Amino acid sequence: MAAGVAAWLPFARAAAIGWMPVASTPMPPPPREKRRGQDGLIILNVSGSRFQTWRNTLERYPDTLLGSTERDFFFHEESNEYFFDRDPDIFRHILNFYRTGKLHYPRHECISAYDEELAFFGIIPEIIGDCCYEEYKDRRRENTERIQDDEENENSKDMVPPDMSFRETMWRAFENPHTSTMALVFYYVTGFFIAVSVMANVVETVPCRSEQNRAKEVSCGERYSVAFFCLDTACVMIFTVEYLLRLIAAPSRYKFVKSVMSIIDVVAIMPYYIGLVMSDNEDVSGAFVTLRVFRVFRIFKFSRHSAGLRILGYTLKSCASELGFLLFSLTMAIIIFATVMFYAEKGSTSSKFTSIPAAFWYTIVTMTTLGYGDMVPKTIMGKIFGSICSLSGVLVIALPVPVIVSNFSRIYHQSQRAEKRRAQKASKQAGQALVCKTNPTFETQHHHLLHCLEKTTNHEFVDEQTYETSCMEVSLAKASMSRSSSMSSSPHGLSSCCTRRNKRKSFNVPNSNMVAGRRGSIQELSTIQIRERPVNNSRSSLNAKFEETVPLNSEEQSYITAAVISMPTPPVTTPESGALGNCPDFLQSNIVRVSAL
Amino acid sequence: MEEGEGEGLQTLAIVLLLCGALKLLHTLGLISTEDRVCDDLELSVVCHRPEALDLLEAQSNFNRKELQVLYRGFKNECPSGVVNEETFKQIYSQFFPHGDASTYAHYLFNAFDSSQSGSIKFEDFITALSILLRGTTTEKLQWTFNLYDINKDGYINKEEMTDIVKAIYDMMGRFTYPALKTDTTKQHVDAFFQKMDKNRDGVVTLDEFILSCQEDENIMRSLQLFENVI
Repeated sequence: MAAGVAAWLPFARAAAIGWMPVASTPMPPPPREKRRGQDGLIILNVSGSRFQTWRNTLERYPDTLLGSTERDFFFHEESNEYFFDRDPDIFRHILNFYRTGKLHYPRHECISAYDEELAFFGIIPEIIGDCCYEEYKDRRRENTERIQDDEENENSKDMVPPDMSFRETMWRAFENPHTSTMALVFYYVTGFFIAVSVMANVVETVPCRSEQNRAKEVSCGERYSVAFFCLDTACVMIFTVEYLLRLIAAPSRYKFVKSVMSIIDVVAIMPYYIGLVMSDNEDVSGAFVTLRVFRVFRIFKFSRHSAGLRILGYTLKSCASELGFLLFSLTMAIIIFATVMFYAEKGSTSSKFTSIPAAFWYTIVTMTTLGYGDMVPKTIMGKIFGSICSLSGVLVIALPVPVIVSNFSRIYHQSQRAEKRRAQKASKQAGQALVCKTNPTFETQHHHLLHCLEKTTNHEFVDEQTYETSCMEVSLAKASMSRSSSMSSSPHGLSSCCTRRNKRKSFNVPNSNMVAGRRGSIQELSTIQIRERPVNNSRSSLNAKFEETVPLNSEEQSYITAAVISMPTPPVTTPESGALGNCPDFLQSNIVRVSAL
Repeated sequence: MEEGEGEGLQTLAIVLLLCGALKLLHTLGLISTEDRVCDDLELSVVCHRPEALDLLEAQSNFNRKELQVLYRGFKNECPSGVVNEETFKQIYSQFFPHGDASTYAHYLFNAFDSSQSGSIKFEDFITALSILLRGTTTEKLQWTFNLYDINKDGYINKEEMTDIVKAIYDMMGRFTYPALKTDTTKQHVDAFFQKMDKNRDGVVTLDEFILSCQEDENIMRSLQLFENVI
């Protein structure tokens, strides 16, 4: 698509003749065409497989190996071809990228081999087309995870680097109990005390026969209250010490405090302390009893000891939306059947179905095939609907559970695909933008075309903020005629079409210092030309470099730019994700950076 | 029969009635549960081949190499060999992201599509480009006149010109400096007619147009602007 649209630019420029008679001001001079190289065939010999293509095809993407002068290093004089000692099967896809503008990922290829080839030929993987992008990302993630797992396994067996501080040692001991004997002991001790604490909570509610043979049975907790209190105190001591030690040892205390495990720890030990503080206050004793419920959260501390529990928790968390949907549809069914049952049973005497909410209980019990029997319909209609309800309950819940599970898995992946695509879009566009900065000729010509349009209408492209400021000023200046609308003097001239997007680009940093000098010269020269407004940020001046208003600089500028572009700096892509949101393809990104010079 | 039974029967009757109504509507096709996307198959795949290279070379002002390059680009973008208006608008709009280029693209399409067939073939493309890039100034002005004359009646009246100018301003988009006022278009059209309409009869004929343009230095110069586009 990119190459194709670029092919239509000559037509668009020719069609601009249609504006000429309407134009109110003279047109800007066209950019000087660089000498057009002869469009010849290039032979690319990749490990014996000969590929041929037009030179222009390769030069569509000047910041890749094949599109730049870097390929001259691979020129083989004897056979008058370019020889690459690489994989010809993967090269086919790379060459297709030049031809069609879309990079595809072949499923049967190994992801590392493919990545290597892409890196060799200077192509960023983010421009892989939508059809293959997901597959590519999935495979890549699997690969990284596999590598990470391998590394982790290796690391855990490694000797501890001797220069670790005591704090780091402690943290490592907490996270990996197998590193040292002390850590293992600590691990088992805490596990034991968790179990003891939970058991104590359970046992203290069991009724024990009282000594004095009273009629009322008391729970063990009340009978041996002192013993249980001591046990509880001991457990809480251990837990508190453990929590404090973890807090001290954590590399990032703030992150540790925010983590789930630490919250569970806190919730597990807080009731005890609150109870200590509030034990004599009668008013809140009810709340105190409720707090004891939270002691059961100690069982969640086991998740540090059990990886399976963690996985389950993570799975539930990630499937939360699907489970919610399941619950919602069940609720709908329950409401429908409850309503129907209520109205069916409305007339019968001494009916237990006193209201629709009362019928909810019957519906749930029937649909899950529990059938307690505390509520039964008496009328014929009620029985008919009741049987329909239980049958549908069986169908809805019991029988297609595997089907539902697989359905939800499919729905989950489908919705995740949209999420993934959205998440990937950002990095995709960032990557595409890095590749998109190509073909300076196209850009100059496109700028010239837009400039002609500006001249025709005698208005300039500005961005939103400048537009609004100018609107405000116009309304302010209605009283005073001080502001002239001349283009030359106005500071609004500093804006360009792409200011809004470019302001957020951190890419400015490497360019800004070398552009700052240029800006001055651009300004000087620009007063001679029809274009009067300088550009205010480096991105548009990046384009301005290719403008022939700066002919003396164009050669070296383009060289510098090429060097800059060929550094795909990963940190650049992420913050730009928002800024580059409007650059889904090659052409769009060029348009974004049009300066209205 | 108890009263409750009656009510229960009523409920049953209503439910059955609703189901029956839904089924009826479904059979009538007023509601559909499946997507009908798969039914709309693109049955017609138009494929057009241009005339022989020699013929085109004779008809236009391009040489063989230029025609080859042009056709390769054209074919790459439109493998079927024709461009319909939608595609044309999309392509043209990509060059003008700030505003809405569809109206102007529509007029442009009509100007390119000399046979008014609804699609641009490669021959139409070449004919127009030949005039625009390699034609004489008179031919270029004729082509432009044809572009402005929306209803192709040989006269440009104020409405047509207003439409054209408005379409051009639409391409600028909302955020311009100075801000677009409501009468910007009208002023522009009036200025145009002031210059072009010699006999002040409210319409511009081809001769008036060509004459007025030839008098204007700026226009003459700008017509030569895109000579070396190919």
